[in-house]
Amino acid sequence: MKCEIIVDGITVYFNSSKILENIKFEVNKGEMLGIIGPNGAGKTTLLKCIARSIIPKGRIIVFGKSINEYTNSEYSKIVSALLPNWPNGFNMKVYEVVLMGCRNRTESFWWEKEEDIKIAEKFLKLLKVYHLYDRDFTTLSSGEQRRVLIAKSLVQRTDIILLDEPIAYLDLKYRIEVMEILKSLSRKNKIVIITAHEIDLVSSYCDKIIVLNNGKIVAMGRPRDIINEKLIYEVYGINAAIKWFENYPIIIPKRNNKKEENYYV
Amino acid sequence: MLRLAKQRKIKLLIYSSSLSILLFISFLFSLMIGSFLLSPMEVFENLINPEKNKTISTIIFNYRLPRALFTMITGFSLGISGGVIQSLTRNPLADPYITGMSSGAALGATIAFLLPNISIHFIPFFAFLGGISSILLTIFLAKKAKADPIGFILAGIAVGILANAILILIITLAQEKAHGIIYWIYGSFSTSKWSNVIITFPIVAFCSIFLLINARDLNILLLGEEHALQLGINAKRLWILMLLISSLCVSSCIAFSGIIGFVGLVAPHMIRLMISSDNRFVLPLGGLTGSFLLLVSDNIVKSYINPFGEIPISTITSMIGVPFFIYLLMKKGGKYEM
Repeated sequence: MKCEIIVDGITVYFNSSKILENIKFEVNKGEMLGIIGPNGAGKTTLLKCIARSIIPKGRIIVFGKSINEYTNSEYSKIVSALLPNWPNGFNMKVYEVVLMGCRNRTESFWWEKEEDIKIAEKFLKLLKVYHLYDRDFTTLSSGEQRRVLIAKSLVQRTDIILLDEPIAYLDLKYRIEVMEILKSLSRKNKIVIITAHEIDLVSSYCDKIIVLNNGKIVAMGRPRDIINEKLIYEVYGINAAIKWFENYPIIIPKRNNKKEENYYV
Repeated sequence: MLRLAKQRKIKLLIYSSSLSILLFISFLFSLMIGSFLLSPMEVFENLINPEKNKTISTIIFNYRLPRALFTMITGFSLGISGGVIQSLTRNPLADPYITGMSSGAALGATIAFLLPNISIHFIPFFAFLGGISSILLTIFLAKKAKADPIGFILAGIAVGILANAILILIITLAQEKAHGIIYWIYGSFSTSKWSNVIITFPIVAFCSIFLLINARDLNILLLGEEHALQLGINAKRLWILMLLISSLCVSSCIAFSGIIGFVGLVAPHMIRLMISSDNRFVLPLGGLTGSFLLLVSDNIVKSYINPFGEIPISTITSMIGVPFFIYLLMKKGGKYEM
């Protein structure tokens, strides 16, 4: 099968410390890939490399072409990314934020076209934030902001969708809903790559998981094959019991009774 | 949302036409007001038929008309560039005056004035060099110090004071040659000529069109380089281009009008507070508001005559601007809101 994204041995340094080291993996069309790992493992950096906001050593090939060969405008039609550090404190309305997503393929330079607005409406409705469209973005709750930003990413209508922690801040219901939406996009032959801390949800929805630790890939493959007690101990350093319900793992961390007194120093 | 989109189009149309009407009314006033008052009838008759009264038409065509036009052009350039600089630096308190750009431009223009055998056409160019280098210095200092919005303003004020000090030094040393420049520095339209209009109009028109075309992308630049890049915008290039063009826009006017404070700050913010912080509203309407504010200020200046000459226009604009600046500082300065 032809791979649509080939990450071919990328390494990223930041101030002479290695953030990512020799990362290699491939993603096919219609696949949903989850990247998990502890804080500071390099998950977001890896996404940023594919989104071209960090230029790594090594090659990344998207649709048969090295990503450096695309122009900004070409690339924005192929890859959309929800990146962290969304600036806060701008007096922007929700619809203004979402309509920015149309910028990559619009030809009009002043007002958005009617079809763009309809598409923005569609995705706002899909993520259940349409009723907020005339509100100031900053007055929304973190979860609502997240959903608006996911809608903005989807408005870009790209074949590759990168999302950094899309389900952070979301409540139980919306976590499932957002994952369902992403899964249905990947079934429509799009490539969805997400980072998350929710190992259980990622395992049950993603076709493939990459586990990062200290900038290296520790494990990669189908969730059911790789998520086990040993891996959790290796990566997070905690003892945990894992129970599987079909594709859904329940991870129960064991309390560390011995060390408890040390936490109060 | 479709209805809202239509409403916004209509909103822009209504606001820009009502501002244009206001501007036109104050334009008519500016033709009437001066060392002696003309009635609206006299103005109209002489505009239509310049042969009717030679003295009046000379006053209108040689003095009042170029002065009013040049004031409007300058106001527009200050308003639009103020809006752009606020967005580019993501700082609601920034404007050409506070970031040191105006003082730098005035310094550049003064140096050009004092150079022997220089054509008047090169003055905007020198002003542009002075303006752009001072704003770049401000940005450099603020970045170096990892300054917050207030720190950025402090850097701008420092650069502005430095440029002013060098300016005063040059004028004092040049003495006779620089006679009259000191008056011009504080901003005045009393010596406006047709040549000012002819030189600045094409520059400001070109710059404004460029800035307006990029108004939508300027909204996206507000989100930062990474997010803009991701939407297909070459953020670095656009940022530099917009900064250069807005500096050129303001500097070309300041080269002839002198330093004018606070119009570039107040005009775009009035639009932000009253209508929308979308740059597609802020830039065109901010420009028109700048024009209107400056023309009204100039009318106030012209209606009060004393034997020692006119009040510098900056006193009027500062009196309007400073309370507004303090209001913004109190309300928004700490919060980094645009």
